Amino acid sequence: MNTSPQKGPGESGLYNRIAVLRAERGISRQELADAMDVNYQTIGFLERGDYSPSLKLAFALADYFALPVEAIFSRRPFQPLSQQVYGAGRSISAQKIKNDMEEPQ
Amino acid sequence: MKAELVLMGKRVDMAPRASRRALVIFIYAGLAALMAALWFADRWHASGYYMIFASLFVNWLFLGGYAAGGLIKPFSGKGPRRVPQPPSPLALGLRLYNPLPEDRDYRNDERELRQRDRAHYLAYQALALCLVAVWMLTSLQRNVPRLLSFVPVSADQLLYALVLIAVVTSLTLPQAILLWTEPDMEESE
Repeated sequence: MNTSPQKGPGESGLYNRIAVLRAERGISRQELADAMDVNYQTIGFLERGDYSPSLKLAFALADYFALPVEAIFSRRPFQPLSQQVYGAGRSISAQKIKNDMEEPQ
Repeated sequence: MKAELVLMGKRVDMAPRASRRALVIFIYAGLAALMAALWFADRWHASGYYMIFASLFVNWLFLGGYAAGGLIKPFSGKGPRRVPQPPSPLALGLRLYNPLPEDRDYRNDERELRQRDRAHYLAYQALALCLVAVWMLTSLQRNVPRLLSFVPVSADQLLYALVLIAVVTSLTLPQAILLWTEPDMEESE
């Protein structure tokens, strides 16, 4: 299963997290394609960003992964999920420690 | 699009684009050779019809699109009509019976429909070129026939060839464009 982060948005101009979400949930392309009623090749095109889906398919994917559409598709590159979940908290803590150290006693 | 072709009981992998391009070249080389052979046979007097039959045969065996067989799904998205009665024991015994795929295997999804429409748009341009050539030829024939006196074949024969090419193009080119342009097919896992 290829889940390597994509370098660019592909021909569609859209970034997406389908490959990551699919890997995270252990779903094959064929299983996702069956659930979306599309060809498995189409899932590959979507993952590479070579095809921009219709609104119907985008919302179907959002329903399937139980996420908002903007969590799956974006016009800007996504931050890695791990960084989004853990990175923000850590950077706030680091900033707080730095501020505390700089504060005059 | 199917990833493999079954020829004489052997499975041929058509997932790589290079294989599909080789098939397209092979098909058009074959059709061109047939057209040339039919010219030498009877100057396309009656044999021109064979080009149409050959195109339909190529669709049925290799290309698909307008036939239930071949690599490309039917452009209509509909599978062949299913016969309600079971196959005869003779057909089963001789292994002439192949169960038809499910109806959903014939249906084009939204990306395939988009690719189908794009392929027809490109094929339409090639067809338009053929029609322009037909128009120019008939125009020359009517207005300045002496210009055509240098051509070794008659204007009628040239016109017939162009129309024949246009018909073969309209029957086969959209599928050939799809086979030529679709990238390597990936695994479903």
